[in-house]
Amino acid sequence: MTINNVSSSYLSTALLPAVRQAQSQLSTLETEAATGQYADLGLQLGGQSGYELSLRAQDDLLQTLTNANGIVSTNLSTAQTALSSILSSAQTAAGNLTQSSGSIGAGSTLQSLGQTNLQQLIALANTTAAGGYVFGGQNTQAAPLDDYYAQPSSTAKSAIDSAFQSYFGFSTSSASVGDITASQMQGFLSGPFAAQFESPNWGSYWSNASTTNASSQIAPDDVIETSTNANAPGFQQLAQGYAMLSEFGAVGLGSGAQEALRSAASSLINNGVASITTTQSQLGLVQAQVTQANSSMSDQMTLLQTELGRIDNVDPAQIATELTTLSTQLETAYQLTSQIHNLNLAQYLPA
Amino acid sequence: MTLSSAFNIIDTSFKAIATQSATIASNVANANTPGYSRQVANLGTTAYNGVTVYSVTREANAALAAQLNSTTSDSAAQTAISNGLATLAQTVSDSATSTSTTGSQQNGASPYAQLANFASAMATFEAQPASESAAQAAVAAASGVASSLNSGAQAVAQARTQADQQIGQAVSTVNSLLSQFTSINNSVVAGIAGGSDIGALQDQRDALVTQIAQQIGVTTTVNSNGSMSIFTDSGVPLFESTPSQLTFTASGTLGPNQSGSAVLVNGTPITGPSSNMPIQSGAIAGLAQLRDTIAPQYQAQLDQIAGNLMTAFQETDQSTTATGLPTLPGLFTTSGATTVPSSANWTGLANAITINPTTDPTQGGDAFLLRDGGISDTSNLNYTYNTTGQAGYTGRLQQLVSALAAPMSFSSDAGLATTDSISNYADTSVSWLQAAHQQASGNATYHSSLLTSAASALSNATGVNLDTELTNMLTIESSYTASAKLVTTVNDMLNTLVNAI
Repeated sequence: MTINNVSSSYLSTALLPAVRQAQSQLSTLETEAATGQYADLGLQLGGQSGYELSLRAQDDLLQTLTNANGIVSTNLSTAQTALSSILSSAQTAAGNLTQSSGSIGAGSTLQSLGQTNLQQLIALANTTAAGGYVFGGQNTQAAPLDDYYAQPSSTAKSAIDSAFQSYFGFSTSSASVGDITASQMQGFLSGPFAAQFESPNWGSYWSNASTTNASSQIAPDDVIETSTNANAPGFQQLAQGYAMLSEFGAVGLGSGAQEALRSAASSLINNGVASITTTQSQLGLVQAQVTQANSSMSDQMTLLQTELGRIDNVDPAQIATELTTLSTQLETAYQLTSQIHNLNLAQYLPA
Repeated sequence: MTLSSAFNIIDTSFKAIATQSATIASNVANANTPGYSRQVANLGTTAYNGVTVYSVTREANAALAAQLNSTTSDSAAQTAISNGLATLAQTVSDSATSTSTTGSQQNGASPYAQLANFASAMATFEAQPASESAAQAAVAAASGVASSLNSGAQAVAQARTQADQQIGQAVSTVNSLLSQFTSINNSVVAGIAGGSDIGALQDQRDALVTQIAQQIGVTTTVNSNGSMSIFTDSGVPLFESTPSQLTFTASGTLGPNQSGSAVLVNGTPITGPSSNMPIQSGAIAGLAQLRDTIAPQYQAQLDQIAGNLMTAFQETDQSTTATGLPTLPGLFTTSGATTVPSSANWTGLANAITINPTTDPTQGGDAFLLRDGGISDTSNLNYTYNTTGQAGYTGRLQQLVSALAAPMSFSSDAGLATTDSISNYADTSVSWLQAAHQQASGNATYHSSLLTSAASALSNATGVNLDTELTNMLTIESSYTASAKLVTTVNDMLNTLVNAI
């Protein structure tokens, strides 16, 4: 073993770097103990920083999508509720029409059945949620169906009136209405009248809705159609059935023509019920998809949070231990410095 | 042998003791002077059996001194790089995830985090395409992306400008140290020739070399006449009997297109790409690396992100009949831009990128243009994507969101992947910067502890131990007492002899 010279200057300052390092480490540890996270995450993670950030961003995006899905779900439930109301009214109406098949009910009953239901259909089709019309398709800012009973006459009503006039050569208020035969009535209803509810008349006179449904990103890389629109066949069929009752139920048709009217309306409303049910089940599928997306995103977020916690968070027990060790080390360093200071030959020489 | 010759011998002893005491006094006085080399009085016998101090030598250790100089240089270079990167890393420091006043999570200041915020805002807007507040939030988030690129680019410019100024200061420091060195070195040479005590001068000369090593890595050689020559660690002479002149022109503010000037030693560049003999260490080397390599590379990454953002959000002619209208900058643009710049012209784009004022409600714009298109030219309907004008239109938004994740091409000069999505590239860029920061910080810590141990090794080898000096003092004291006793005894003997006569 060699005994090297030790300079006094080194001996008295030897512990300084250690003390300085311990003190800077102490301040870092204090921050970490207080926040539970690394004091300088970027420095700690280095090249892993991007990974940490991307986890955070992914978590953030999933949270945003989950929040956005809340809006989609609200729209969908509102639409479902409205469709249910439309459906139950239509079923009741269909039932009433079937009951009245044996003895044809009073014309005014048919007329008011048609009008009430048509008004309700239009009101429900114009349901709003979160500031938009749920049956508007992409066109969420315009009421999907115009008010048929608006004053002065709506374009839809005028178009039907003029179709009647041109087909029969007289208006509905004419006395000749009673002479219309069942086959004539059938011809009108399935011909010019039905045309009012098909493209392009439907779009021109009845509906402002967009046939393109609104689509939303319900999960990363999953964009689906998340609405239906008032141009769906169910709406057209029901509107057609209700409108014919409302228009011609109480104009004084002969019994044959009246029966033709009732049976045409009844079959349309029954078709409408079937179509609305289909639409409902389609929306139900979308709802299920959204719920599914939410639950899988929630699982992913849990995983991401766990991983983020693993990366960002310090172990409190470890920090506490390190703090204790460090303060012991500092105390030792202080004591040693003072003792070394006294270890000096000058102290022991006689004065 | 006579009694009088004993007197003469004792006299030499007193002289030697005086010199030894002076040496010890000098050692004790300088015990805490950094860089002081302890002195040793070397004793020898004279022709008449007396004692003499034939030389006083310094306990120098050239190897350890060179080690100290090179670790000083390395530590200075790494510290300069580490400090610069710490400044840059501030701009991407995302450890603190805060929650904004509106309750949405904020991911920090890096371009990547801002892009993530923007993607979130776009997803919200897409779910409520008719909501004005969602539209404005998306535009505000886009503005956040642009300003994070701006502030990143500004930090780069600032770091480079600062490094440039520091190089200027370092160069004038070295020049002044070299002129001090010249005069001390001349004194040393003259002292050696004249045979005078040069220990203190040598200490000063060594201290100056260490100070120069702080700025530039150096190697030294000592010539036969005692003159020292200094070379940079790359071999360019800094001092050979006469000092070299270091020249440097500070650039003022360094923009993204400007490269700073090189440090010249007698006209030979020792930094930068034009140098055949670039210095490897010292503060100047670290600062030059920061200014010329590291910071410009980060600037290039930011420029690539900015350029690809402009490209991804550009608007094309939407008219059904091909009218051949040019492609225009969309949401992301630069002030007064009429075209999307080609990738060759992206330098400095990160400084200039901004959101199009036509979309910014605070500048009288319409945030819904983000959904509908027509941002570039509000008066030309051919750039409108939402041709039906319906409020629930999300086609363009979906296009833009997927553009952030679509693969784009990036320049290989920026040192990252050449094909990547904008979002991923920004993420990798953060990783790159933080990794460089971590590495530089680790290097700086490592080199600073090396420096501490090199300094202790040198201090132990050449420094003063007070206990040793005091022990020597005690020995000399005894020797003095004995000599004095001898003088008295010989004197008594002479007196006895005289009285006997």
